[in-house]
Amino acid sequence: MKFFNHLVTPVFAAITVFSCATLAQAETVKIAIAGPMTGPVAQYGDMVKAGALTAIEQINAAGGAGGNQFEVVLMDDACEPKQAVAVANKIVSQGIKFVIGHVCSGSTIPAADIYENEGIVMITPSATAPQLTQGKSYQFIFRTIGRDDQQGPAAAKYIIEKLKPKKVAVLHDKQSYGQGVASVVKASLDKAKVPVLVFEGIHAGDSDYSAVITKLKAQGVDFVYFGGYHPEMGLLMRQAQEQGVRAVFMGPEGVGNKDITAIAGSASEGMLVTLPADFAADPANAGLLRAFATHRRDPNGPFQMPAYAGVKIIADAIAGARSTDPAKVAAYIHTHTFKTPIGTVAYDARGDLQSFKFVVYTWHKDATKTLAP
Amino acid sequence: MTELLPQLTQQLVNGLSLGAIYALIAIGYTMVYGIIGMINFAHGEIYMIGAFVGLITLTALGVQAGYSLPLLLAAALIVSVVVTGLYGWTIERVAYRPLRGGPRLVPLISAIGMSIFLQNYVQIGQGSRDMSVPVLISGALEFQMGSEFTVTIPYSRMIIVGATLLLMVALTLFIARSRMGRACRACAEDMGMANLLGIDTNRVISFTFVLGAMLAAVGGVLIALTIGKLNPYIGFIAGIKAFTAAVLGGIGSIPGAMLGGVLLGMSETFAAGYFPAEYKDVVSFALLILILLFRPTGLLGKPDVEKV
Repeated sequence: MKFFNHLVTPVFAAITVFSCATLAQAETVKIAIAGPMTGPVAQYGDMVKAGALTAIEQINAAGGAGGNQFEVVLMDDACEPKQAVAVANKIVSQGIKFVIGHVCSGSTIPAADIYENEGIVMITPSATAPQLTQGKSYQFIFRTIGRDDQQGPAAAKYIIEKLKPKKVAVLHDKQSYGQGVASVVKASLDKAKVPVLVFEGIHAGDSDYSAVITKLKAQGVDFVYFGGYHPEMGLLMRQAQEQGVRAVFMGPEGVGNKDITAIAGSASEGMLVTLPADFAADPANAGLLRAFATHRRDPNGPFQMPAYAGVKIIADAIAGARSTDPAKVAAYIHTHTFKTPIGTVAYDARGDLQSFKFVVYTWHKDATKTLAP
Repeated sequence: MTELLPQLTQQLVNGLSLGAIYALIAIGYTMVYGIIGMINFAHGEIYMIGAFVGLITLTALGVQAGYSLPLLLAAALIVSVVVTGLYGWTIERVAYRPLRGGPRLVPLISAIGMSIFLQNYVQIGQGSRDMSVPVLISGALEFQMGSEFTVTIPYSRMIIVGATLLLMVALTLFIARSRMGRACRACAEDMGMANLLGIDTNRVISFTFVLGAMLAAVGGVLIALTIGKLNPYIGFIAGIKAFTAAVLGGIGSIPGAMLGGVLLGMSETFAAGYFPAEYKDVVSFALLILILLFRPTGLLGKPDVEKV
């Protein structure tokens, strides 16, 4: 990470110095990007980084947020809850007032408590677990992504109306994100009287799931929903293919990235995945894609545009509130709507999006995806 | 429940291939412990390095380049075994030999440090993302059992079990018959005495580390081929499991490590297959506790006699 910092900081420093000369009362606003910069799910961190950095560069180049230049601080939590707490404390002690992140639900939940107590505005572009905001009365915590209980029903609706499977297994990785979305899917399927024969957790990080696959095979399962991330999903599909299990697999957006094809190979053909609507394909974002392209950043992932939107909301709120005081900025975010690449954004009292659309895609073995029929 | 028997057969195949890998790694733990009485906690990382070297060799040769499959596999195995063996040798020289003769806890700490170092070293060199190995050995032996359940034995898993069996037989013969094997047994029995009788104990210890690393490398390459997903952290869990297997079988005993590995693989598989999968480790570790309650030295371990 140091390496990256060395590359990026001088650029921002240069811009900052330049604009300080033109705007007398401008100040530098530190903004942290917190997420997995290393570790098995570092690609999600890369996506958030790509979106947030592009937004920050554009805003700085256009004169900053209400005249204030952003300064980026990258923080690595490796998607580990413990490390996320350490990162959050570091952000507090460095006096940073705005955070884009964290990325995984498991690490966002403990970090959010710290930010709320210290009055730091946090916008997560990717944590979808309902527990993040459920039953809390956060004032400083927001998302630019939907919740699992919006994503779960979208998946369940598709399963019930389009697939009509006869024997279903719902698996999860026992982590807040995976188990959360899997539970919602199971509850919806139960309500629609779709038979769920197996509902179990598997160990994330294990490499051999053949025992579970044999169990599914013995039950004659024809549809598997897995709540979790791509490494486990990839192995499940690869080992199911190995044992000749021909079930349809479906997962939440945590399984929807190119690495799943590398792991599962041809077994990834036909996997279904619920993803946020493809904002990169939205013609309104064409100009934005060029900005990604000039920095050779990939705009085609689920979290780039939400991350971009998060930065934009903070910038607009700073400009709108005419203050960099996090309390005023948070209050402004709660009471206003924002035009962002993910559409017009408005928040409810909990800091959740008032609406967010998930779409079902079919995955292909060449790592492309098409809208599911 | 007419499908009980075929399902059992399938789980047996799953458990045997998992257990075979545990056994290959467990031997490294048990041999080192048998000779110098130390737990080499970096051994799991050695296995991880073996898997990575295998993957790098496959990539370098070009999986699609049209070499015949057996040739590719042989190349990956040989390169990985040689390179990983070198790692085993170096680790002993760098991290353990200078500390020999000191308090027993010191090399243990050094081993943990080595493990952290190796994990981070691979993470820097190869990145921390998952790397994947394409499916090279596809196909499976299938036969119908019962009315609708087809038992599938993938060739890749057959290779794991076959290769492990072969290595176990070879290792047992080697320890029982060869000169070096005899020297190993002598050192395990009484290091000081072996030294007095003219056995180069330093050489034997180096050899033990190299042999353990080589077996772990075979395990690493085989698992890379079947599982197809590698990251720098796989050594940790595999190491813990293999260490458990070694303790289960009686640490210090080579047949014990083999038995312990297979037993642990089986119990994990059956626990995941017949109980909710989240209780997999609970069941297998409960088994470990039970066995250690009744046989504190493990299944095939000899009671520790205080050497005077």
